[in-house]
Amino acid sequence: MTLTETRRQAPPAVVARALTKIYGQGDARVHALRGVDVAFATGAFTAIMGPSGSGKSTLMHCLAGLDTATSGTVHVGDVELTGLSDKRLTLLRRERIGFVFQAFNLLPTLTAEQNIRLPLEIAARQADQVLFDRVIETVGLADRLGHRPAELSGGQQQRVAVARALISKPQVIFADEPTGNLDSRSGAEVLSFLRASVRELGQTIVMVTHDPVAAAYADRVVFLRDGELVSDLAAPTPQSVLDTLMRLEG
Amino acid sequence: MLRTTLAGLRAYRLRLLLTSLAITLGVGFIAGTFVLTDTVRAGFSQRVTAEADKVGVAVLPKGERSSLPVRLLERVRAVPGVLDAQGLVRGKAPLLGKDGRAVGDLATTAISIVPGPLDRATIVSGTGPGSDDRTAVLDKNTARTHGFRVGDTITVLDSGRREHRFRLVGLLDPGVDQELAYTGALGFTTATAQRMTGEKGFHEIDVAGADPARLKQAVAAVAGPGVEVLTGEELAADLASRAGVQMEALTVALLMFGLVAMLVAALVIYNTFNILVAQRTRELALLRCIGATRGQVFGSILIESVVVGLVSAVLGLLAGYGLGAVTLRVLTALEAPLPTDAPVTLSAPAIVAGLTIGLLVTVGAALLPARTATHVAPIAALRTQAEQRTFRAGLLRVLSAALFLLAGLGTAAVGALVMPPGQQVSLVVVMGGGVLTFLGVLIIGPVLVKPLSALVGWIPRKLFGVPGRLAVDNAGRNPRRAATTTVALTIGVTLMTLISVVTASTRVTVADKLDEQFPIDYLLVTQERDASIPRSVGESLRGRPELTSVVQIRDTRAGVGGHRVEVGTFSGPISPDVTAGAMGDLGPGQVAIAAPTAQRLGVRAGDTVAVRTKAAGTVSLEVVALFGGESPLPALTVAEPEFDRYFGAVPDSRVLINAADGVPADRARGVVDAAVAGHPTIKVSSSTEVRGQFDETLDMMLLIITGLLGLAILISLLGIANTLSLSVHERTRESALLRALGLTGAQLRRMLSVEALVLGLIGALVGVALGGVFGWAAIRAMLDGAVFSAPLGQIALFVALSGLAGVLAAVLPARRAARASIVESLTTG
Ligand SMILES: Nc1ncnc2c1ncn2[C@@H]1O[C@H](COP(=O)(O)OP(=O)(O)O)[C@@H](O)[C@H]1O
Ligand SMILES: [Mg+2]
Repeated sequence: MTLTETRRQAPPAVVARALTKIYGQGDARVHALRGVDVAFATGAFTAIMGPSGSGKSTLMHCLAGLDTATSGTVHVGDVELTGLSDKRLTLLRRERIGFVFQAFNLLPTLTAEQNIRLPLEIAARQADQVLFDRVIETVGLADRLGHRPAELSGGQQQRVAVARALISKPQVIFADEPTGNLDSRSGAEVLSFLRASVRELGQTIVMVTHDPVAAAYADRVVFLRDGELVSDLAAPTPQSVLDTLMRLEG
Repeated sequence: MLRTTLAGLRAYRLRLLLTSLAITLGVGFIAGTFVLTDTVRAGFSQRVTAEADKVGVAVLPKGERSSLPVRLLERVRAVPGVLDAQGLVRGKAPLLGKDGRAVGDLATTAISIVPGPLDRATIVSGTGPGSDDRTAVLDKNTARTHGFRVGDTITVLDSGRREHRFRLVGLLDPGVDQELAYTGALGFTTATAQRMTGEKGFHEIDVAGADPARLKQAVAAVAGPGVEVLTGEELAADLASRAGVQMEALTVALLMFGLVAMLVAALVIYNTFNILVAQRTRELALLRCIGATRGQVFGSILIESVVVGLVSAVLGLLAGYGLGAVTLRVLTALEAPLPTDAPVTLSAPAIVAGLTIGLLVTVGAALLPARTATHVAPIAALRTQAEQRTFRAGLLRVLSAALFLLAGLGTAAVGALVMPPGQQVSLVVVMGGGVLTFLGVLIIGPVLVKPLSALVGWIPRKLFGVPGRLAVDNAGRNPRRAATTTVALTIGVTLMTLISVVTASTRVTVADKLDEQFPIDYLLVTQERDASIPRSVGESLRGRPELTSVVQIRDTRAGVGGHRVEVGTFSGPISPDVTAGAMGDLGPGQVAIAAPTAQRLGVRAGDTVAVRTKAAGTVSLEVVALFGGESPLPALTVAEPEFDRYFGAVPDSRVLINAADGVPADRARGVVDAAVAGHPTIKVSSSTEVRGQFDETLDMMLLIITGLLGLAILISLLGIANTLSLSVHERTRESALLRALGLTGAQLRRMLSVEALVLGLIGALVGVALGGVFGWAAIRAMLDGAVFSAPLGQIALFVALSGLAGVLAAVLPARRAARASIVESLTTG
């Protein structure tokens, strides 16, 4: 059995059941999620796609314990998020979840290295030096470690963010439009890097994107529309993703 | 443009609220001062008017004269139109307490309470003495402190020290008469008052009759020269203005604290407007993009400050009214000897002063930020993220700060070390140096913030892990803002430290001098200057085994040249500190003079002075020594036999007593008390009592001043809270990111608390350093031979409280930050 197959057989990293999220009240009610059932396999790179306003970010926030769902359940590993206190949710994020946001990923006062080590320090954990060196090498930031975010390009900043997410070996990394603010070349670098971390480090990644090219880096793409899961595509290519989108829109 | 400004005001109202609170507090204090003093003044004039209303015309002694002859009363009574005339007696009549000793430091003042319509006394319980010569009334405060009640029998000494007993029939309110309030007051019938005080004349003659103006002329005609005749109205004005002078001094003193508060408020406002402008860079740039001129941008910020200034000044006036009213209530409850019952009013001058100061300070503080706003380039609107504000210590800044610091410290050093101590100029020079130094600190502040935050942040960094480290970094992140925020606190802490250093040093210096010059355990004096201690008292103490030394000092006044000075002698062991010549054994024809008196008389050691004596004519004495002015010896000291020859038998004016080593204090005290048992007016004070009273006075002063400075501290805390909440707002996304990465809400709160702690500690440390240095300089300038003492405990307390206060100031902003939704914070802002 190959390494990949072993992982495929492991229980899923994140599971959502009948997840709904309603914003606002009365006339201003918005059903951002309408009963989403989805599982994200351990050691896989999954993309969440859908048109703007379809509920991608909301889904990610609920899965990551940043926001609470109106109903339904979320499991990260064997922990159920529903009903956890803010404190427990925080500790869960600290221990098991990594983040890469679209923008403003780094603390401006810290250097790249300090930013990368930040989650470990918050959790008062020792860095795995072998992992650190490997991550730095993979991200290609060795000569930029002493720089502050303002002295790094957008692509470099996102790579620092990815390195930071990897360093604590989380159960899952959530990335919300990580290439949204980047030009296509820097975007491609970051995406390859994300894929490499899944292949080589066995990392589980869930990425929200609306870019078919970005989605094609993933092992699997799930499609959202109006808060509902409408399609599921394995081994995507840019073309198959685009086709699926066209079908959904049309 | 105006509409945009107003919309901006509405949008930022929460932020502006804290700012206006700073102004409101400052203006409130100033207005409160006016309310308080105006009301008390009004109370005074109400009282004196009520009293003087009963009087048609009052006759008072003028100039040298201290009393009116009794004959004058008869002449006044005979003036046509006079319905009634009464002579008022006032003099000393020591009341004896239940322990048989005269009460108070000064002899009780006895007054006559006249019958009929001219009675001005306010009897608050019981009745007046009427015409019963065996009754008396006592002022309510003395009665309370010494446990006398209506119906009790009291014992009072007459001018010949004979005891007389009276039945206490009523209690008296001394009203606005400060002398009566201070010494305590006894009221008798006129005849008794004359008999008890031994006064030959009247202190005042009150006349009743119609048409005061005509009456005044008629009375003045018979009164002749040397007296002053006033109508009731004039008398009231006179009394009121005398009370007014005291109120003026109080007003000025309180306003000084108000101004310090306003200075701190100005810094807070300056900072707030700076931050608001920084945060609105894009908004302002957008305005510039769509065609607003620099002038319009400048104007919009100024209008904003005008609105804030006006609103908070008006609120301040209201707060001041409340503050004044509450203070008056408290004073009433404490039975302060002040009239607090006049209607509480906010006078027009108070309103004008409050509005003007509030407006000027706000607009003045907003000027620089408004100018900065005009420098915002339209292109800034297009940038996505506000760039990090970097700060470099420019050469110009460092140089000018160095210049100010050198000039300031130099000036203070001149005032403290070169100029003569004990003179007002020296102190003024030191304070001038203080202001220059403070300006230097203000300029160099932003440069100091980083190293100082690293210094005071050392422990929190170690203690609080990541939140601690981030907090310390954040504290030094915007040095200019941090510097202004902390300087506001520095002002208060500097002044508090300065005051406590000055107080502590004064205490030590005085204690030192007391030890050196007055190495005595007990001092005997009498209540009155002229009354004296029979020689037998000192003589009976001499030779007691419980005592080691008894020094009797006698003195009297004599003419030397054009001056009247104290000439006296001593018997017993005493060694003053001789500054010139030698005192050894004073022989016939020799005199030792206190240095300050010698300076006044213009004589030096070796000169001769001519002293007019009572019994030996004018004698010419050789000045053989000068001694320090703190010595208890008479200003001109001669040998004992010579003194007897010059002035005859003079009783002791004071007796200095030392207990023998190893004798318990209460035994020695018992011996001394027994010796004065037959002399109720002799006061025994022990050096520990004197020092205790002195300490108490200093402590009280320190407490009051610290309390008043507390306002400035409070305002600077508002500044910290304000800066922090603005920073929290700026860093919304940063906080959300940290929360997403696993920082708990509690850790985020702790982070902000540590940041505030660091800011508070920086402000406090700079304040303590400045306060310590200038406290030293001030005490050197104020007291000759000052001993410096820094009350480390108190200073440590100031630092700790400042840190704590900073943490308190962070509570609300921190709570808001910790409660913010992560998702919303990440997506917006
Ligand atoms: N805080 C919020 N309050 C109200 N409605 C919201 C909020 N956040 C998102 N929505 C709405 O929920 C729906 C899904 O939003 P989102 O998850 O951000 O979509 P996506 O990320 O796919 O663009 C949208 O209609 C959006 O307007
Ligand atoms: Mg989105």
